[in-house]
Order: sequence, then C-alpha cells, then structure tokens
Amino acid sequence: MTPDESIVMNRVRRALNRTGPPAPPPEIDESITRLTHPTDDLPAIFAGMCESNKMHVQTCNSADLAAQMIQFLSAENVKKVALCNGGIVVRLDLANHLTHAGFGSFTWDRLTLDELYDFDCAITDVYSAVAETGSLVVKASAEQGRALSLVPRIHIAIVEAKQILPDLIDLFAKLTREGLGSAVSLITGPSKTSDIEMTLVIGVHGPMKVKVFIVE
Amino acid sequence: MPPLNPCAAKVAPAERRPFKPFVYNLAMPVETAQPTFAQASTRAAGDEKLKAAVSNAVMRQYVARQARMKELPDSDKLRTLAGDIKQHALDHLDYYLDQLKASVERNGGHVHFVSTAEDARELILKIAADAGCKKVIKSKSMVSEEISLAHEMERRGLEVVETDLGEFIVQISHDKPSHIVAPIVHMSKESVAQLFSEYFKTPYNADPEFLTRQARAWLRDKFRHADFGMTGANFLVAETGHVCAVENEGNARQSITTPRVLVTLAGIEKVVPRLADLSVMLKLLVRSATGQHLTIYTNLFGGPRKKSEKDGPEEFHLVLLDGGRSEILAGPYRETLRCIRCGACLNACPVYRKIGGHAYGHVYSGPIGALITPLMNGLEQYKDLPQASSLCGACYDACPVKINIPKHLVNLRRDIVQQRLNGRIERCVYRLWAWGLKSPLLYGLIGTLQKFDLRRRAKNTGWIKRLPRIAAGWTNVRDMPAPAKKTFHQLWKDR
Repeated sequence: MTPDESIVMNRVRRALNRTGPPAPPPEIDESITRLTHPTDDLPAIFAGMCESNKMHVQTCNSADLAAQMIQFLSAENVKKVALCNGGIVVRLDLANHLTHAGFGSFTWDRLTLDELYDFDCAITDVYSAVAETGSLVVKASAEQGRALSLVPRIHIAIVEAKQILPDLIDLFAKLTREGLGSAVSLITGPSKTSDIEMTLVIGVHGPMKVKVFIVE
Repeated sequence: MPPLNPCAAKVAPAERRPFKPFVYNLAMPVETAQPTFAQASTRAAGDEKLKAAVSNAVMRQYVARQARMKELPDSDKLRTLAGDIKQHALDHLDYYLDQLKASVERNGGHVHFVSTAEDARELILKIAADAGCKKVIKSKSMVSEEISLAHEMERRGLEVVETDLGEFIVQISHDKPSHIVAPIVHMSKESVAQLFSEYFKTPYNADPEFLTRQARAWLRDKFRHADFGMTGANFLVAETGHVCAVENEGNARQSITTPRVLVTLAGIEKVVPRLADLSVMLKLLVRSATGQHLTIYTNLFGGPRKKSEKDGPEEFHLVLLDGGRSEILAGPYRETLRCIRCGACLNACPVYRKIGGHAYGHVYSGPIGALITPLMNGLEQYKDLPQASSLCGACYDACPVKINIPKHLVNLRRDIVQQRLNGRIERCVYRLWAWGLKSPLLYGLIGTLQKFDLRRRAKNTGWIKRLPRIAAGWTNVRDMPAPAKKTFHQLWKDR
C-alpha cells in the first residue's frame, strides 16, 4: 500500500468509524426494477425499441442473410467492408459471400486499428442484446476488438433472436456469471449529440448509421 | 381590482433601474476578477438571452425526465432503492474501496489514491511522462474540471483535446461549462458558428449539423493518433473492478480504444457494490439526466487489453480522488455523496433556470453544487450558495438517489450562523427582529405602523410600486401587495 493510499483509506475508515462486519447490500426488488419480462415477445419488443432508437432493423432467416446484406451494402454505396472473424459471421461465411458479390471484405485479423479508420462499414455479431432498451451488447475480443463497432461510419450488427435478453437485469446477471472480459459496450442507437442549442444531430464520434439484422 | 400578475411587464428590460441591493453590498468590493455570487447572479438574471437559452435547454430535459419516469413501475420506490444502494456503499466505503482495488488489480490495472487536486494532477502527469505520452484525448469528467487538469497538462507541454462536443467548444473558447450534463447551454449556435469559423478558418455556418460534422472530422483525427486517453466514471463496480461510463457521442469509447495508456479519474464516492446494482442505477441515471431510457453507449471497462486483442489500452490506471470527500463522509452531510451527477436537480431548479451555471462560480452548480461546493471548498468562500434557494424542494423530487437537498441547505445556513460567517449587519438585523417578535406589544405596534405606511404608499391601488432605500430590493422587479385594512385578528373579532 502506497503512503497516499493509506492516508486516504485511514481517513475513510476514521470517517466511517464502523465496528463489526459489513452488512450485505440492499436486495434488488425486481417488481420495481424489471421492465421487460421473459414471457414477453422479445424479438418484437427488441425490434420496436431499436427502431425508436433510430437503428434500422430487418428480420430474416440465416439463409437469406447474405443476400439481404449485399442489398443493403449496394444501397449504401459501400465498396469495402470490415468484418469480425467469429460467431455467425464466420458460420455463414459472410466474408466470402461479400467478396463474390464484388465488395472488398477484410476480416479483423487482417487489419490494424489505424487501417480501420479508412473503412466506411463494419459487420459484427453481438455478445447479447437487450429488448427493454433496444441495445446491442458487444464485448471486446480478439475477433472484433473494440473498434469494429465504433470507428466506421456504418455499423451492421447481426443479432440471433435467441441472444435477445428481456431486461438489463438479465444482462448484468449474464455478465456477472460469464465475466466482462476487458470491455463491454451497450449500443443503443447511432451516435448523437444535442450540445448545440439542444438540436439533435446524429452521427458524432461513433457510427452514423446502425443496421440490425435479426436472424431467426 | 388589482392586476392578476404583479410581475407582468412592470418595466421593460432596457428601462429597468440598476439593481442596488443595499444591505448585502455594503462591504462588497467593486467588481473584481471573480465576481461574488450576488453580482454574478444579478448579471445573469438580467441577461435575457442567457435566461432564454438556459430555460429552453433545462425545460426540455426536465419535461423529458418527467415523461420517462412514468415508464417505471414505481419510480418513487426505485429512487428509494437507488438511494439505499448508494448510501450502503458510502456507509461501507472502506470495504468496497478495498474490494475495488483488488478487482482492478486482478484485471491487470493499477489503482492510485490521491488526497488533493494537486496530488491528482501530479500523478496523472507522471503516468503520462513515464509512458512517454504526448497526445491526450479526454472524455467527459467532472472531476477533471474540479482539479483543472487539462489546463495544467497544456502548461506542461502536452497536447490535450476535449472530445465531448460541448467540452471541446468550451475548451477552444477558453470558457467554463455551465451545466453538469450539457456544458454549453449558455451558448447560441451563432456563437458556436463564429467560434468554429475562427478556429478552423472556414466560412461561417450556423447549422448545428454542419458544425457537428466539422468537429467530428477534426476530432476523429485526434482519436486516431492519441497515445493517452482519459475518462471519468459514472460508477465503479467493486465486485468486478470495472468502470461504468455513459455517453451519447462515442468519444469515451474512442478514448478506451485507441490510446495505449488509459486513465480513469473518479471521486472515491463513485463506488457501487455489485454489477447487478447497475440495472437500478442506469435505469434512473439516464432518465433523470436527459429523459432517454438509456444512453447511446453504456461502457464497462477496466484493465488493459487481453493478450489476443489488437486494440484497447496496454496500461490502465484508476485514479481515485479524495478531495474533501472523506471529510464530508465523516460529517452529517454524508448523504450528499450519493450524487451520481445526473443534473436532474439543475433542470428542476427555478433558480438555476434563471441564472445558469456560471453564476455559481464553481464546476458544480445548481442545487447539488450549492451543497457540495461549500462542503468541498470552504463554507466561508461560498456562503452565498446555500442561500440561493427558495427551498421549493423540486430538486429533492427530481433526485434519483433521494438526496434531501433542501434539508441540507437549511443545515448549511445554520452552520453559517453558528460559525458567525453571516456578517455583523445581518446578525444585528436578526437580533432586532427576534426582539420585536418576542413581545406581543412591540409586534402589534410595529405591525400597525408598518401597515399604515405601506397602505399609504399603495395609494389605494392595492400595490406598492416603490419602496425606498433599504427596502428597494423588494420592489425593484415586482410590485408588492399592500396589507389589508384589517388584520385577521381584527376581522375575527369583528365577525
């Protein structure tokens, strides 16, 4: 313990003047905290919340996903795409599908962070999703880093319907069980600000557009 | 029939007489570099443009907050629970700080405790120097404002860029933020446009989208090449050793992604026990602050990147600042440390709405600022702040962790009197007043004299437009109703 630490901690201990072992923290009453229940129609609620968060949502099945993706990318005029190299993206071999459709597709293992700044679009899977708030949950990993879902202008997220959790309560329970890794971010829309005269502007330091494919 | 609204259009703003508060200004120096609260707030209240900007901004957030809170099954009980969780963390702060340190170190991070602002600045500068870092990107941190970190870093030759759009604008305009959550509520888009035009050497354009894109392009380049990232913290989770930082813009996420050294600076009171507690705290924090159900990005991080990862910091430091908080912990104001810096009390406060944040003279403004600024920096220097309240209680109703702000404001006022900080004239006036109130005969006599005098001044209209000298303050900006012809006692006797 450094001298500063013991100074501060001693001050804290003296301030509290606590005797005896610590009491347990207050119990979290779900009846006042939970907003979405496991019995609710999670994909529908999730899709609705994502739309109201100004993310573009499309539901499809895994066979159609590549085709729908290509259609979206053509409409957005994207030429090259960065992809994560794990999860459903690898399972459905999306990188190869996109290459065959004429897009430059680069997986994260072949890119540096600096190179990613020149990409307009990235495709990632998600660790989880929350229906209550319409949030995508991404975890830092070797497969997608922290930057894929952050740096390019357009972020495409692939959510499998079974990944959708009802409420934040369930997400934090899952993270407590499985660990957070080095970083987790909940993404609840494209980046925005209202700093200038409370005028909403979409697209600040994170992606300007978020497209969510819900795969059933 | 007297007019319904005595404040309506009494005097056009341009013609208003200069406000000369007699009693309180007696010993006041002429305008100095740091105006007193009375001077600053008077000036702010007379600035119609500022009032309109602040009022517009806070009302939007306040109305949004009211609507969102209704979504919760029982927002009152949830606020009580959140308050209990924070209070529990404070009551056991030594235990949770120990747990936090162990957890962060298990994740490969470093934890530092510092006592004062200066210690914090020196430590962070040393971390940067040891790692050979020169390009700093900062995301929103109230504590870094508290310790004036950016200024000192620049002085020592580091390139420091505030990356939150509002804070960036504050930085390049050499201004100070005026609201905890929305730093530039006091600036119009035209002034931002003028600022950007000069700074970026581009044509003037007051479209907020254009201005935001300009800032985005500029700051994107800074993110790309930064080597030192700094964030604040909304919560520190003791159980897992993670920082929770919420934002809408993405600059905090950038700060934890590109630079090789990451420092999170937070007050020691930010600790919560468990990850599960975040479900309660987050549902309330964001609704209370801006009326969203969740911020665009809710980030949980702590510790350096894992070996297999390509981005994220190689070094992580958590700097925990005491800065007077342990003293507040020891005393009767411990509850004020529950504050999660949501800004809901600012948005609810009728005083803040009129004068904005700068008038409070310190980084923390509004009702919570009126409490913690004197507590952290000395009651003598900031004794005007606890007085700047009508004790309406709107802040208490808005607070997501149920800090009883009005009660603490009254207690601070009592402390001011007990420490004899309130000046000889005020003590003398109150002594006379107490003397007059203690005697029924004196009370009746003075009351009758006062009644006759005031009714004479009202000249049968029922309203007094001007009181002389000492009392001028009461009628400077509104008419005062004249007392009735008969007192209630007399009416009662006559019935």
